[in-house]
Amino acid sequence: MADQGSNQESKARPGQRRIAQWTRDYARLPGIPDEYIGEDGAPRTAWSRFFDAFAALSPADIERRFASADRHLREAGVTYRAPGETADRLWPLSHLPLIIDEADWQQLTTGIAQRAQLFEMVLRDLYGEGRLVTDGAVPAAAIAGSNEYLRAVCGVKPPGGRHLHLYAADVGRGPDGRWWVLNDRTQAPSGAGYALENRLVLSRAFSNLYKSMNVERVAPFFEAFRDSLRASADRDEPRIGLLTPGVFSETFFEHATLARYLGFLLVEGDDLAVSGDRVHIRTVAGLKRLDVLLRRVDSNFLDPLELDASSHLGVPGLIDVLRKDGVVVANMPGSGVLEAKALLGFLPSLCRRLLGERLIMPHIATWWCGQKSAREEVLSRLEDFAIEGAYGRPVPGFSGNGPVLAGELSSAERDRLRSAIADRGIDYVGQELVRLSTTPVWEQGRITPRPFVLRVFAAATPQGWTILPGGFCRIAEQADARAVSMGDGARSADVWIVSDKAVSASTLLPAAEAVRIRRIAGVVPSRAADNLFWLGRYLERAEATLRLIRALGAPMRDPVKGSSTTLPSVERIQRLLVTWGATSQATRTNPARVVAEALQSPDKFGSALSLAKSAQRTASSLRERLSPDAWQIITEMVERLALQVDDDDSVVSAAELTLQELASLAGLAQENMNRAAGWRFLDMGRRVERAINTARFARQFAYDEAGEEDLDVLLTLVDCQITYRSRYLVGPALAPVRDLAVLDPYNPRSVAFQVATLNDHIAALPSLKEHGLIERPQRLAVALQAMLTTAEAATLDVKTLFALEQDLLNLADAIGLHYFPHGPNASRPEKLTGLA
Amino acid sequence: MIYDIRHVTAYAYESPVSFARCSLRLEPKSADGQQLISHSVEIRPRPAERTVRHDFFGTHTESVLIEAAHRNLRIDSRSRVSVSRQVPDRAAPSPSWDDIRDVAFEATSLGPASPIGYVFASALVPVQAPVTAYAAASFPPGGGILSGTADLMRRIRNDFRYDPKATVISTPLQEVFEKRHGVCQDFAHVMIAGLRGLGLPAAYVSGYLRTIPPRGKPRLQGADATHAWVSVWCGAELGWVGFDPTNDIMVENDHIILAVGRDFSDVSPVDGIIVGSRKQKLGVAVDVLPVE
Repeated sequence: MADQGSNQESKARPGQRRIAQWTRDYARLPGIPDEYIGEDGAPRTAWSRFFDAFAALSPADIERRFASADRHLREAGVTYRAPGETADRLWPLSHLPLIIDEADWQQLTTGIAQRAQLFEMVLRDLYGEGRLVTDGAVPAAAIAGSNEYLRAVCGVKPPGGRHLHLYAADVGRGPDGRWWVLNDRTQAPSGAGYALENRLVLSRAFSNLYKSMNVERVAPFFEAFRDSLRASADRDEPRIGLLTPGVFSETFFEHATLARYLGFLLVEGDDLAVSGDRVHIRTVAGLKRLDVLLRRVDSNFLDPLELDASSHLGVPGLIDVLRKDGVVVANMPGSGVLEAKALLGFLPSLCRRLLGERLIMPHIATWWCGQKSAREEVLSRLEDFAIEGAYGRPVPGFSGNGPVLAGELSSAERDRLRSAIADRGIDYVGQELVRLSTTPVWEQGRITPRPFVLRVFAAATPQGWTILPGGFCRIAEQADARAVSMGDGARSADVWIVSDKAVSASTLLPAAEAVRIRRIAGVVPSRAADNLFWLGRYLERAEATLRLIRALGAPMRDPVKGSSTTLPSVERIQRLLVTWGATSQATRTNPARVVAEALQSPDKFGSALSLAKSAQRTASSLRERLSPDAWQIITEMVERLALQVDDDDSVVSAAELTLQELASLAGLAQENMNRAAGWRFLDMGRRVERAINTARFARQFAYDEAGEEDLDVLLTLVDCQITYRSRYLVGPALAPVRDLAVLDPYNPRSVAFQVATLNDHIAALPSLKEHGLIERPQRLAVALQAMLTTAEAATLDVKTLFALEQDLLNLADAIGLHYFPHGPNASRPEKLTGLA
Repeated sequence: MIYDIRHVTAYAYESPVSFARCSLRLEPKSADGQQLISHSVEIRPRPAERTVRHDFFGTHTESVLIEAAHRNLRIDSRSRVSVSRQVPDRAAPSPSWDDIRDVAFEATSLGPASPIGYVFASALVPVQAPVTAYAAASFPPGGGILSGTADLMRRIRNDFRYDPKATVISTPLQEVFEKRHGVCQDFAHVMIAGLRGLGLPAAYVSGYLRTIPPRGKPRLQGADATHAWVSVWCGAELGWVGFDPTNDIMVENDHIILAVGRDFSDVSPVDGIIVGSRKQKLGVAVDVLPVE
């Protein structure tokens, strides 16, 4: 590395020049604290250390590393979705970390831990004895107004002994330079998974710089969090699920990342069922008990039976299981009540009462208009305030989600706001107008200040609260900002807590903060198995389609063979492509368009592109089970197939390249995929689809009167040219070709081989019933294998081949019905019609 | 007055239902001027599990689990209740409504009877400016809570058309308000929304009406099904007072209370989740007969 070379001395001078150049125009915004320039007007030490080390890298090296960070983000598919959008966006990561000195950080962590503990105590009282309200320490209205105040769990002791397991606070620097709280997150804080991903990317791109800065590691925090959740269950090897709303959630990527990193099962409401006094997960081996649920679904959607009846994200009966102490839910439903801004003003006195301490962290000055004096204060100088909903919802009577800046309203609108506050003050808070503090971002070769919000995470452990050293930092794009939402074009940054000493040995994990791989618990949820099965089928069908395209296009450019594919064979290939929905009957009048359409028409559901997209869609809900490499290949495949091709040559080479990628995907699955994580279902999908396709190819090209050309096409389609030639000296003949493609148990592309593999899988899978009878998938597969073992090529006519194809389709259906009865097509729970 | 009540709920499904998890709120309260004498519920098919608890609002709630496949579900509830209520006259003097609002906002209890639980929007009752403005016409500054609420009740009865075919459970309040029609549940929701918009505590009550009216009185709307009305907090002294906007009457001895909550979703007599059938047909029959 350049920054550790022996010629460091001679580099110091150009380094200093570069720093001067980067920082020349950098200035604090008037009256607003900044991370780089401290209160005294001089650069903070930690940042100076960073820029010194940074300047030792050559400009070209810096650009190269920035590019590598961007590439990693793209390749890993780190995405989020803006509210209201349907497409995933690439995660924008600031190239500079947010750097915080350890001593400064210590003050912050003490305040955050205190706040987390205070909230836990408040929740315990609110949902327990309720003394805070009856004593007047908290107005009843400040609680009752929140729809997160869940009456259904009043009096329910939280299983696992606590309400809050994970707490987060959005912080910034107040006008005096001290950290203060902008928002509290007590329901289901998001962002920790993105923080993890940001750290991976930046620590890899600047590995030596990262090492030299003595950055606190984040892994111990996640381990402590995981271990504490495990310890909260009432048995030794608990099964833990991360409950996600599903792939359409804005932050689904993060759910998958966290589930994979922490070794939890990623589950949706439909994957879970209440039985007895417990929550269970539907797996391919039947219902399995779930001990802990880390939820990313809001409280009100958790149980359609007792809470929001229209929810499809929850588990009917879940609340009742909580009453029976049957499952730990983190955070406990109803914890979100503390996100109400109406409560902020009461925290200092609550802290004294419940903890006997002074509240350490200040927050933005907030007046809850449910109190007479506060209401009068707000109404007396309304234009100085940002008005917000008192309970975490939009301002009643005004559109938009954010605060209403009274000073920017028309006088008529301001009067409307004024009378609304006078009538129902309990619904409103007034907050002091604050600007966010700033941190440097890299822009066109220099640094410039941008407003940011830092989300700090605290996890409950048996030893007290532990704070993630770092966090999730969002940076606004405009120079002046009051609130930041990721939808508004913000970027995020890694957060480095740096020490001037080497970080303590106990936390010194592998240098570049490698992801700690854990084995996914040994159960496969039915939905994951279903998706894996279909991923296998889509990929295999794409392969078959590409082989047809290649067979159609290739001979025309083969100088040795010339255009040897005879007209009847071309006809048959085209017909197959039409049947598969890869091209249309109409297109066949223009043969040149057939291959292009079959390759990349987005409108044809059977085109290679459409199949690759289906595979990608299926894979996206399996992110926690697929390696980043596999995801990357699938993404590249989709991108390439979508590239415009202009002639047969480029169609064929696109098909060939994609076939190679499919082969490497298959290799990855075979060699790298954990056999406990559902690999069998991926392979079963592939095998059953290949068997069906091969049987169909055999019927089409090895029909009873098939000529040499047709048989030659079949050998190409099933990739058996070389095997055939090494075995038979004559040209393709019907019986030997049929034998090779269908019956030969040693040929890995024959139907018999697929059926034998399917039998192995089925035999290895758990049996669901106890009545001792052979189950339907096995019955069909064993019968097929017996048929294929005893059949003779000479008597394998088209009728038999057709029956074989039907039996294989039935087998595929039987596998679906047997192992994933709760898949997308299963009947879902429904509400009983109510009464009029 | 003592009543015998028979309340039969019958579901018929198009295809077999393999699983049902239901909550039943069918046991009349022993409070608010009435006393439960006897009660039983018979369920067919026979449930695998029946457990009873009291929910947040104090309502007797029975959780039922049915695991046998079935095409018909029949819930037959029988109760005997004695009712004896003292009801203030709608024109009686009462605290001013603005005082009621201010006192309610200052509540120091989150309990089910505390007015603070009933001044905010709830799942089925949004607070909307037009509905609040409609209600405001009944509440001149300093006006009494009883006379104002009674006036609002009268106006709803006059302005809205009773039409059992016009709405379903899921019809949003805004549509009911704009089209000015619906059933008892809709009228109750509209009245509650208007009162809450003004900051007044209003609860939703489900229950029954006597089927055959006393001699010389008209037969009331909603007597052959479960009924719904509104309970309004009128200050510490008067407490909660019942208003029936469907019939424009005060809730006296012809009404039997089943459950009280923020809106229908808190008190739904039969509620549940089933797995299996997409189509269901519901029949409800209620008979409320005086015993002596």
